[in-house]
Amino acid sequence: MRLLTSLSLAALATIACASVPASATGVITCKAGPVSGWKSEKALTEKLTKEGWTVRKSKVDGGCYEVYGTTPEGDRVEAYFHPVTLEKLYVARRGEVLFRKKGY
Amino acid sequence: MCLEYCGCRFNLRVAPNQTGHYQKPMLRIILNNKSAFWALLCLPALLILQRYASGELIAMDMLHPTGEWSARFMIAAMALSPLLSLLGPRPWLIWLIQRRRALGVAAFVYAVLHLIFYIIDMGNLDDILAEFLALGIWTGWAAMLLFVPVAMTSNDASMRALKAGWKRLQRLVYPAAVLVLIHWIFIHNNLAPALLHFIPLLLLVAARFLRHRRLILKGA
Repeated sequence: MRLLTSLSLAALATIACASVPASATGVITCKAGPVSGWKSEKALTEKLTKEGWTVRKSKVDGGCYEVYGTTPEGDRVEAYFHPVTLEKLYVARRGEVLFRKKGY
Repeated sequence: MCLEYCGCRFNLRVAPNQTGHYQKPMLRIILNNKSAFWALLCLPALLILQRYASGELIAMDMLHPTGEWSARFMIAAMALSPLLSLLGPRPWLIWLIQRRRALGVAAFVYAVLHLIFYIIDMGNLDDILAEFLALGIWTGWAAMLLFVPVAMTSNDASMRALKAGWKRLQRLVYPAAVLVLIHWIFIHNNLAPALLHFIPLLLLVAARFLRHRRLILKGA
């Protein structure tokens, strides 16, 4: 019974620790100021599409725009863009960073 | 160990109806019906596939839920025998153990769905190969490779044919589980959700191991 009690306590502690939400993945962070100053996600998608990207999905992560898609070179990647300047900051596929802007 | 209890069923109270005949209550019929359990295991897949069909989710969004359900069912199937050795033959546990094969096969089916949506999402072989060597990726492929023989022999005919070898083969699920854990942690860049699922299993397996050792020491 003692075993069971310690087992359930350990399980509860695990659940408590693991429930702390992880909002950003921490790969890249942009300190881009208030959202009101940001360009829209739609503007980013349009810009990228014009440049030859295929955008599958985009969202906000770490204060940057995170885009899943294919580069003009044809690589399936995850990329980060600055929400105010729409500048490319980081491009990676799983297990390999293809581009990282200095300072990020 | 389970075989001794396999005749056990949930014994909900049976009341005579007005004509004096005994009828099985609905709940008992559903609980004892193996197809109903299969339907239950299919439910998460149906819900997400329906959202995929409606265009609400894209292939990429399907990776997380299919993978997570696969891991959940695998962990559930693996947790049953440590639970049995710790708690003894509880009715609910026996009920689940009688359905362990369904849990294991469901874990495999969800893993196959996971792989199919991965291939759809990546779209071409070049991109799949380009990331193959990433730690979070090859561990997924390796786990899948181990799951295939385990799932293919999850039937009575294989049990009879392989005799003692069957259990050894099924134990491939342990290295597969380790690979799944690594796959999950490194694909997510995040420890919490993977550990949340795996630590209970780890504790159960460890507790059974320790208890087993104590029994051996006592006996010696």
